[in-house]
Amino acid sequence: MRGPPPRHPDDQREPIPPVEGLITDAAELVPGARVVYPNQGVCTVVGQEEKDISGHTLQLVRMRREEDGAAVLVPRNKVSAIGLRLVATTGQLQGVFHYLAAQLSDPELDWKIRHRDNADRLIAGGVLGLAEVVKGLHSLSRLRPLPAKEREQYDNARHLLVHEVAVSLAVSPGLAEDYIDYALMPPAGVKFDVPPPPAPVVLPSRPRHRRPAVEEEEGGDLGDLGLGDLGLELELEGAGEQGGEGAASEEAAEGGEAAPKAEESLPVEEPKREPEKPRTGPKPRTPKKAAPVKPKKAPKRSEKAREKPSRKVAHRSTTRRGRKKR
Amino acid sequence: MIRVVTLDELDPADLAFVTRNLYRAFGLGTELAGQKPLPSGLEGKGGRVDALDLLREVAPVRTFADDKVLYLTTAPLSVPPGPLGEPPCWGFAEYGKERATLSTVRLPPRGTSEASVEAYRRRMAREAIHVVGHLWDLHHCVDGRCAMHPSWSPFLPASPEMDLCAFCREKSERKIRLAKT
Repeated sequence: MRGPPPRHPDDQREPIPPVEGLITDAAELVPGARVVYPNQGVCTVVGQEEKDISGHTLQLVRMRREEDGAAVLVPRNKVSAIGLRLVATTGQLQGVFHYLAAQLSDPELDWKIRHRDNADRLIAGGVLGLAEVVKGLHSLSRLRPLPAKEREQYDNARHLLVHEVAVSLAVSPGLAEDYIDYALMPPAGVKFDVPPPPAPVVLPSRPRHRRPAVEEEEGGDLGDLGLGDLGLELELEGAGEQGGEGAASEEAAEGGEAAPKAEESLPVEEPKREPEKPRTGPKPRTPKKAAPVKPKKAPKRSEKAREKPSRKVAHRSTTRRGRKKR
Repeated sequence: MIRVVTLDELDPADLAFVTRNLYRAFGLGTELAGQKPLPSGLEGKGGRVDALDLLREVAPVRTFADDKVLYLTTAPLSVPPGPLGEPPCWGFAEYGKERATLSTVRLPPRGTSEASVEAYRRRMAREAIHVVGHLWDLHHCVDGRCAMHPSWSPFLPASPEMDLCAFCREKSERKIRLAKT
């Protein structure tokens, strides 16, 4: 069975250990069988059929979701890859209830890892994976309110778990939810004497992409910034002088071996600016000539007005600026 | 429409308080649909009535599509035991369907003082919202202040609120909007 999609394009899709009851052969899907489709819920197999889709003849397994009667069509050759599994057995459910009733484990506090792992558990973790998501997010909600996304994820996981437990125990979903919450949140004074819970679902390892540690060179202060990888050179004002003095003093102490390195790392010469050459390429497009604008005739003013033009203009401009600022 | 049916004698003022708060919580018309007799012969161990049998045997009331019916009783209820024992039963709802029942046995004693009557009514309304919420596909909520938090939870405050949390309210509104009628 394929695991969840890789986190990085360079990663390979990593196979994860199959859960109990995984269906790997489409021949097992006989009409009337009840199976669990990951992230969809319990479905009943209706039959198998052929369909022409965009010129290809596909053999499909038709299923009906029990919750709302929605039709689900799965290509026969992809049955083994999507993680269809049988409804949980009584033994599996006992493990689920023992897990739910177990003492609070430390919830994962890094939301990225938590969200990713929970998504993996919902896809490929089986019924125990659903229980782990419910238990983990429930224990986290005791510490602080769940964010909206995780609240939704919690509700989805609970919905799937309730329906699978209901189908497996042949009870109504309302009763199954009471059983689950009785284990998850027992009333005051009630303690369950249950055996240790089953081992948690094994998730695919997530290699983290880290840059290899760069060996620090003497005097290579800028190596930490990773500017060399970007092809950039940084000139710091004043740093050259201080560095130069410091380097010079160190050179004097060490015998002057480090002098050329310091010169290489901090170039002193300023690049000469070449004189601008006339452009030889194609001429840039000149903007279309605008129609000549006739200068407006200034209105005739009286002599008094001509004597004090600047004050009025200044006054107007300040008031306008003030309005704009407001 | 939410229809409230009593299976025993209950105070009309209490019923009015419950219907008012059901309307406030779900934004649906709520009315008293009369009284029906409690089905006989359902008592099990300790004189408790099996909630599932009660909902199966109780006399139906006239409903239309998407109507929800809440049966109120003073008889103690029980549910079949599960893998870890029998959960305490305040009420029971057919998840996503039509009928729910609520017992007043586990509510705080009604008493005669204003404070005790108020506490009784508030808790009754809270449990009514809880079971009707199950009829609208709401699951139990992690928020102790939400009416959908399990009624027996140790995280429930002493006097729990009668309101749904934002998530449950939005979900119920979505379900009600998508209902056929």
